[in-house]
Amino acid sequence: MRGVAMKLILAAALVVVCGLAAPVQAKPGNAENGEKIYEKRCLGCHGEEGDGLGPAAEYLIPPPRDFTLGLYKIKTTAFDDDIPNDDDLFRMIRDGMPGTAMPGWSDMLSEQEIWDLVAHLKIYAGLEEETPSKQLDYGSQVATSEDSVEKGRKLFHDGDRCSECHGAEGKGDAIKKLKNDNGDRTWPRNLTKPWTYRASSDPKDIYARISVGIPNTQMPSFADPKSKKKLSVEERWHIANYVVALTKKGLEVRPENTVVKAKRIDGEIPAAIDDQAWLQSEPVTFMLVPQIIAKDRFFTPANDTISVRALYNERDIAFLLEWDDRTKSIPGDAKAESIADPEMGQDAVMMQFPVTIPLGAEKPYFLKGDAGHPVNLWHWTSGTTEAEAAVAMLDGLGMAQQTPREDGGGGLTTGSGYQDGTWRVIMKRSLTTDDAENDLQFEEGRFIPIAFANWDGSNSEIDSRQTITTWYWLQLEPSASAEPYISGIVVALLVFGALVWWARGAARPGEAA
Amino acid sequence: MKAFRIPRLLQFVLVPVVVYAVTRLIFDVLLGQLIPASLMTMYMFFVLAGTFMAFTFTEDGTRELVAPIKALVEDPSRKWLRNVVFVVLPLALGFYTYQLRTPKPEAPLELRSIHPAPPSTVKAYDKRFNLLTLENPYRKLQKEDPEAFAEMVAAGAAVYIENCQYCHGDKLDGRGPYAQGLNPVPANFQDVGTIAQLQESYLFWRIATGGPGLPKEAAPWISSMPIWQDFLSEEETWQVILYLYDYTGHAPRSWEHE
Ligand code: HEC
Ligand code: HEC
Repeated sequence: MRGVAMKLILAAALVVVCGLAAPVQAKPGNAENGEKIYEKRCLGCHGEEGDGLGPAAEYLIPPPRDFTLGLYKIKTTAFDDDIPNDDDLFRMIRDGMPGTAMPGWSDMLSEQEIWDLVAHLKIYAGLEEETPSKQLDYGSQVATSEDSVEKGRKLFHDGDRCSECHGAEGKGDAIKKLKNDNGDRTWPRNLTKPWTYRASSDPKDIYARISVGIPNTQMPSFADPKSKKKLSVEERWHIANYVVALTKKGLEVRPENTVVKAKRIDGEIPAAIDDQAWLQSEPVTFMLVPQIIAKDRFFTPANDTISVRALYNERDIAFLLEWDDRTKSIPGDAKAESIADPEMGQDAVMMQFPVTIPLGAEKPYFLKGDAGHPVNLWHWTSGTTEAEAAVAMLDGLGMAQQTPREDGGGGLTTGSGYQDGTWRVIMKRSLTTDDAENDLQFEEGRFIPIAFANWDGSNSEIDSRQTITTWYWLQLEPSASAEPYISGIVVALLVFGALVWWARGAARPGEAA
Repeated sequence: MKAFRIPRLLQFVLVPVVVYAVTRLIFDVLLGQLIPASLMTMYMFFVLAGTFMAFTFTEDGTRELVAPIKALVEDPSRKWLRNVVFVVLPLALGFYTYQLRTPKPEAPLELRSIHPAPPSTVKAYDKRFNLLTLENPYRKLQKEDPEAFAEMVAAGAAVYIENCQYCHGDKLDGRGPYAQGLNPVPANFQDVGTIAQLQESYLFWRIATGGPGLPKEAAPWISSMPIWQDFLSEEETWQVILYLYDYTGHAPRSWEHE
């Protein structure tokens, strides 16, 4: 009986899996109609000639694909066959490429229209008559298991096979400068951030990328028998399973997470970035957006998220900020400068608070405050070969008006460290100061606006060239207190007393009149 | 037999409640325009004050109004009701105080008016524009010279792709690559509730003066919309407006049809 049920489940599972994995059936597209759609929807980025030189090209990293080369990043034909499958193109147009400006079009174009586009795109590189000769060999998929992930981990690091570019922890903290075939700067993927994968972080997709490579970039094929680092089919599945395991870091952006909850602790706030005590505070991750609002605007950021933890005790409050940054940018350091883009700055991070906790909805302008609503800016910089990492306190009245405090730190202290592609920075201050006019006074339980800014110095992020967040909230988690109960009971008793007094007055008719 | 009449005290309570409900219904539900809490509070204050004056205008009226309250403590037949009121009222107010004093685990809600009423004139590009009469200078080409019009739209497309798609999305659906990191989220022009409801002069105002140009009820301090007169010429602003309507297939609202 059990056997039958088992078989039924297996059969059902097989149907589902096959259904999902079945390639989209390529359909002949009408290139003429495709051209019309292209002119309306794609030309702005991919250019009139399909060469990727639309008006936005210089503002986008990665730049829009140049279709005249006929090279596609995400394809499932064999590594030594440049021609993509129609299905591959169909899929990229339908689903888009996360982490780039290329959107998915399934909500706007019908399947037939997408096939028409595929037919049209192929003409730019004279691919319309070509058919791919060799398909990628998937072999048989190795299901993930502790054993497989461990094998994958070894292969990933063996002879620096993948870590050479993707870093020891997979965060893409390259130790060398990478360029694509057109000479544009490219960065290896941060494998711990699945939302930036151009295809997806499904093991089957990762297997395909490892086997085929990513054409036109330095991501190589590991199926190529001529490669010194080549891998068997089985080994590639182990690595794919390991890469999937890397993606589970719990630091993704969730739209419902808008509040940094500062946890109350007894005793000292930890001064070291790797102190276990920080784990008591649940991290919240926010998206970083390039500053494309005020002059000078900045369009090509390197870092995309920042995670925050906070602890406080009866005296102080401290924040642990954590963000992935592929480069430790120390101006003056020869090695750091060799990886950096020219005009290198320090890495930096900033926290922003209003000077007074708003009572109503009105807050300071989210971009460094405004004339009527000053903000406190806590600005940490990574240092140079001459200066140590430091924190400064600034008074903000807008993007163009950020004035450093005369005493420098404004009572702030800091600790920091960079390892394997991640910065961790602590900033600490007393809950209250004796300058309530200029300093935010933290209060338990209140919702305090908080915002962040970040700079990757190696990406020439200096001054207004920065990434920012919108306003979020900070709340110092209130310690359980009896005060609300007592207030409630006092009010109830007072009202009851007043009612009784009134009733007794009324009961003496002589006086009532 | 006496005709049924709503007791005066109940009338006194009902008038403000009905005014409140009808206002909310008209603005929030029918017009889809949230009224800012501060404005509503002020408005309801006047309604309450007015009702109070109307109901206590004559001495008889006042007496009739407070009679049921007085009866509560004076009329022995109402004793049971009095006991109930004397228990429930203190408990309710006590509970309310407790709620007020307990720190909330939820972040404060941020209500804002999405399409606030425009000013009648607006200063931009060192000039003053009358929004009531302002028109897109290139709109007339649509009929007069379709070829020149198509060129204008194409110029607007370039402006859009270079400047706007990061947030509003290259499909104009408000879901550009950075939309997720912004609050309030970028406007979705495909939606029938945005540009299809607005005049081109309104868009001109919103684009030229950006987030900081919004009135208070629209919470200018959180809007990430840039002040585009700092980056785009007047001509480019009108061109990109043409593109928004052309791409989405919506028509701008105009005075003529109303
Ligand atoms: C906002 C700009 C933008 C628009 C509009 C746009 N794309 Fe793209 N597209 C890109 C970028 C950027 C890339 C490159 C991503 C990368 O290299 O990782 C890309 C890549 C592609 C690729 C290459 C996929 C691969 O595997 O290499 C195809 C195919 C493509 N786009 C088709 C289209 C089509 C068809 C349209 C119109 C329906 C379109 N794009 C509209 C920005 C855009
Ligand atoms: C020589 C440098 C280099 C080596 C070695 C390398 N990669 Fe990459 N990898 C890259 C670059 C560069 C990219 C980003 C390409 C682009 O611009 O889209 C990338 C992208 C990726 C992606 C992203 C796929 C997607 O859908 O976005 C995965 C997964 C990946 N690599 C896995 C690996 C694994 C596993 C190994 C080892 C077996 C490896 N890489 C070795 C340079 C490298």
